[in-house]
Formats: sequence, structure tokens, C-alpha cells
Amino acid sequence: MNRRHFCRMTGLGLMGLSVLGCRGRQWSRVLDDDQADLVGSHTAGAETYNRLVDTAVARLLGREHEVLLSTSVESNVPGRRVCFVGVENRSAEEMGDFKEQVYEQIDASIASSGAFDTISRRYIEAGLRASHLRPDDLLTPNGQRAFQTAMERQGQTFDYLMYATLTSGTTVRNQEQQRDYLLTLELVNVQTGQFQKESATIRKGYHKTQIARLKSYQPFGSR
Amino acid sequence: MLKTLPQPLHFFFQSLGSSRVVGFANLLVMIVLIGLCGSGCASRQKSWDRIRASFYDDRLEIADSQLDEIASRSKSDRDVAKLNQAMIQLWSGHPKEAEKLLLQSRNLFHGLQGTALRDNLVSLATDETHREFVPEDYELVLLRAMLAFSNLVDDGEDVLAYAFQINQTQQELIRLRSSSNEAEQRQQVAQNPAQGGPRNDAHPKAKSEDAEKQLALGPYLYGLIREATCMNYDDAARGYARVVDWAPEFSQGPSDLARARNGVHSAPGRGVVYLFAMVGRGPYKAETVEIPTTQAMFFADRLLSVVGKHNLTPTVSPIKIAEVIQPHNPLDRILVQTPDGRWGQTEVISDLGALAVRQSEERRNEVVGRAVARRALKKAALYATKEATSSDGVTSLALDLVGMAWEASESADTRCWEFLPETVQVLRMELPVGRHRLTVQPAYGKNRLGNAESLTVNVQDGRNQYIMVNYPGMRRVGQVLQSSGH
Repeated sequence: MNRRHFCRMTGLGLMGLSVLGCRGRQWSRVLDDDQADLVGSHTAGAETYNRLVDTAVARLLGREHEVLLSTSVESNVPGRRVCFVGVENRSAEEMGDFKEQVYEQIDASIASSGAFDTISRRYIEAGLRASHLRPDDLLTPNGQRAFQTAMERQGQTFDYLMYATLTSGTTVRNQEQQRDYLLTLELVNVQTGQFQKESATIRKGYHKTQIARLKSYQPFGSR
Repeated sequence: MLKTLPQPLHFFFQSLGSSRVVGFANLLVMIVLIGLCGSGCASRQKSWDRIRASFYDDRLEIADSQLDEIASRSKSDRDVAKLNQAMIQLWSGHPKEAEKLLLQSRNLFHGLQGTALRDNLVSLATDETHREFVPEDYELVLLRAMLAFSNLVDDGEDVLAYAFQINQTQQELIRLRSSSNEAEQRQQVAQNPAQGGPRNDAHPKAKSEDAEKQLALGPYLYGLIREATCMNYDDAARGYARVVDWAPEFSQGPSDLARARNGVHSAPGRGVVYLFAMVGRGPYKAETVEIPTTQAMFFADRLLSVVGKHNLTPTVSPIKIAEVIQPHNPLDRILVQTPDGRWGQTEVISDLGALAVRQSEERRNEVVGRAVARRALKKAALYATKEATSSDGVTSLALDLVGMAWEASESADTRCWEFLPETVQVLRMELPVGRHRLTVQPAYGKNRLGNAESLTVNVQDGRNQYIMVNYPGMRRVGQVLQSSGH
């Protein structure tokens, strides 16, 4: 190697170093409505929760619509008020900030359906705080009475309590696992104690290696 | 004369076979160069000592201006200065300013679990201080926790978002760690198939070691913030379950967990006061010499010089690495007298000192490895230059001197988040609604130290009230921070 060649190589190397790498930067983009959600690689994300909420709410409202059709002939059903107490996460994963979003999505869907009126979450939180009760205490006679009193003081009476519960089931096979997510909506009539229950399921596969991912890819359908 | 030199130098001049005159010239130039290169590091150390002294003497404004000065002087200290200034703003009673600085830091370090490739390469040619500052894992979680604290004692509007971020960051770090552990396990199984078999995630020792590395403050804050909504006891229970797992010595943990699972936030007519205390001076980093590695490096380069065509740059300057120092603190808890006259005491939720020392020990091999690689690269670069320029005699000696100066210019990376406490402690008090007077006093075991101070809190029905105090020593530094009810 001659000196000129050595200097040239050293110079090129230093130039290369100066353009490599960046720090503290991140890029983002707005997804169009017709673009698919990103799929969470380690936990459930928008691709799971959005579908679960849409399906479960549609089923609950569909069932309610059938009930309305069958009963409206005999009697006019007054505006029924639902107190949506919250989303309970009993799955193996953290829902993180999705929990608040799932609540708002369900609440907004129910409110806009016309089948029910909903109570603002702020009233519900204030009622729970004032009565010093847990959401699951509201099904006991004493708890229910105390909560109803607290809500009445705020001018917010209700006919139904609604609970949403997320559960999961995990199947592990070596380097891959399947997780089934189940969102259940439960509507309890506080006068009669009768309840309706609807749910939606999403199954998701997680693969730790590329080979496991390719093995699970079945372009011509499963056997 | 040569006999009076340190052993590495003695060997070096012997191996050069140089005359006394060359030896003297060599030594003189080397001392001047080493002195020039080392002076920068020493002055930096002095600056940080001064800043530390100002902060712990409760001269927060002076510490702030000293940090401004160091940030304007040294680019590599800018990020770490910002973190420390956030603490100064917080304890000066400006949580909004603190939050702003912490947000800037969070955005800077977001998703940064390692340095950029360019940083790694540049630091190989220079030293560790030329890498961008990257916080330790626990500091990344703590950054979010401090954001939550700053927001809690301000308007509390973003506290839920910060609670989620604490949780998310911790989950990401656990995931990163578990994937690297799995890779190690796979490697071990590949090397020794007899120890293979199914995954051993539930191994109790592995689990407890992993738990020791976690910052229980994160899930605790997450838990109490979620519990305060009165609608998310399930989230609170998840948080407290982690606290019990990660900090089994925290005796409030099991009762918190039981309350989140079966109880309620507070009894009717009562609210909750959380007193968070930053207790003791926290860990900092200091430069130390890695003697065994330096000696090994020296003998290796002498051996290679004997068999090679040219001399390798002799390892005269010691290899320096940063070591975490946890100063001994004269206090270990804060005693709190409640309105009913009873004394309670804060408990450690996170021992940052122990965590920093442990993480530093774990990373020691990696840091030493980088230092050795750096030295090897420098020696190789100069060897290649000698080869390319066919240097011999005086030119070769000059290149050796350049190499020695280059190596002597290395400094250990002692940058760290300085104004953190040794421990973060907490006491939960459920009190009747209304105004109450609390008395706080630092203590070491049962011995009360320093002066007792009175605080007034306004407890609201079914709500949390947060108080933060900073006791790096027997005297409180900064203001007492209080939230309005959340």
C-alpha cells in the first residue's frame, strides 16, 4: 500500500463514520382510513381491540334490537340508561393505554346506537368515589343501593349496569404461541337482575423465529 | 534512571533498546502530553464536584447556573446536565419547568436502548465520553417516574399518560432483557446439550435475580394512579403484584395488593396521603484504573512488538473505566407523625444505589471489553501507518509518542444522573377528610436526626394527596412539594 492509497482509504473511512447513525430521532406517518392497522408483535394492539369492540358491540346491539322488535308491539320501551362501569382486564397481557380507548369506543358506540342512553364516565367515577365502592360491589344489594343513592344525588339514575371484560387463553407450541382474546360485554338489569351477555373473539399467533412464522403461513388454507 | 520508572515504562525502554538520551526525551514528551490530555478530565471532575456541593448545600440556583456553564462548555455533558437541571427545577418548586426538561430528555432517549453505530465507532477512535450519553435501564424508568411526580405536584392532567409510559418502558426493558436471556440460554444449550430441555423461565433463582434489577417504584406509581380512578382496581392489582414480586422487603406491598384485589381505595369520609421521600445522596460515577487489563495489554503489546516488524505503541497509560460510587448516608428513613399522634415511617420502594452498583458491575466486562478494543484499534492504526509509511527510527518513535498521547487522552465516562437519591421511600396514610398537620423528621433506624418539620395537608374524600420531600442528608434540600387532590 502506498502513502496516497493509505490516506485515501483513511479519509473515506472517516467520511463513512460521520454519516452513520442518528440519535433521538423517530419518524411517523398518518395512516389512511383504508390502510390496515399495524399488528402488535408481542401483544395485542389496534388490530385486535378494534375488531373485538366492533364485533362485541354489534352483537349486543343486534340482540337488543331483536328484543325491541319483539316487545315494542306490547309496550313502548322508555329511554333506558346504561351505566358502563368499566373494562376489566383479566387477560395475560397489559392493555396499557388501550384500556381507556376500549372504554371510550364501547361507550360511544352504545350511546350513538339509539338503543340506550349512557351516563357520562365522569359521573360514574364521582359516584364510585363518593360511595367508596368497587365496580364489582355494585351487584350486591347494599352496594347497589349506595351507588344508586350517590348517582341520584348527581341526578343520574340508571336502569342497567354494563361491564366489559377482556380475557385470554394461551397455547404454546415450542417457538410459537397462539393467544385467544375474548371481549365480553355484560348488561345487567338492576331492576330484575336479568342479564345479557355478548362476546367476540380474536385468535392471534406469535412466532419467535422466522421459520415458525413461515411454517404457520398457509396460502392455500389450513388442513 | 530507568530503574526508577514504573514497571511498564521500564520494560518499554528496555525493549526499545534505546539510549538514555532517547529515553529521557521520550519520557519528557510523554509526560507533557499525558499532562495536557489529563488536565481536561480533572477539570471536568472538579466542575461536577462543585455542582454536587452546591446542590447538597441547598444552593439550587448556583447549582443551576453551574450546570448551564458546563452544558455550554461541553457538548457531551449537555444531556446529562439537562436531567440534573430538571431535578433542580423540581426541588426549587417549579414542577412545570422540571416536566419540560424531563420531556425533552425523554424524547431524546426514547427508544434508545443502545448508542448509535456512529457513536460506537467514534468512541473506538477516541474514548467513552465521545459516545452520546445513554441512561441506564433504571434511569429510563425513573425518567418517566419523575415526569409523573412533576405532573402530580402540578396540575396532574398528564399523570395517567406518564403512568402508562412507566409501565410500557418497564415492559419493553423486561422484554429486551428476556430475549437476550433466551439467546444466552440457547447458546448455553448449544454448547452443552446435556443441560438442554424445556424452557426454564420459572427457575426461582433466575426470577429473583431478574426481579432485583427492576424498579418497583414504576409499578407502584402506576398502581396508585390507577387505583385512584376507583374504576381500575384490576390495573392497580397488576401493578402492586409486581411491587410485591420485585420488592418483597417493602412491607406495605401485600396490603396494597390485597386492597386492590378485594378492598376499596379508602373508607367513607377518608382520603389518602402519599408521602414520597428521596432519602440519601444517590450514586455517582468516578474514574478508576483497570490495572489487570492494563498489565495484560502491556505484556501483549510487548510480545507482539518482539515478533512483529514494527513496535506496537506501548501501553503506558492505564485503561480507565467508570465505577459507580454509592456514598454512605447518615439517614435511612423519614419518620412521620400523623394527626393521631402516632409515628409512622417511610419504607424503601426502590434502592437506586444498590441498583446502580449492580448494573455497573454487570456492565463492567462490556466496558472493559470496549476499552481493550479501543486500545487495540489505536495500536493497529498506528502499526498500519508505520507499515504504510515504512517508518523506522525517529519516525517510528514519533508515531509511538503520538500513539501514547492518543491513548493517554482517554477518559472514563463518568456522566450520570447525579441528583438522584440513594433510595425512594414512601408512606401511605389514610386520614379523615380535612386539614391535618404532619411532622416529618429524618432518622437512622430508631435514632432521630436533624430537625422535625411540620407540614399541612388537606385531605379530600376518596382522593389521593401527594407530598414529596428530598433529604439527601439530615437537612432537607429544596421545597416540600404538594399536590392538590387527584
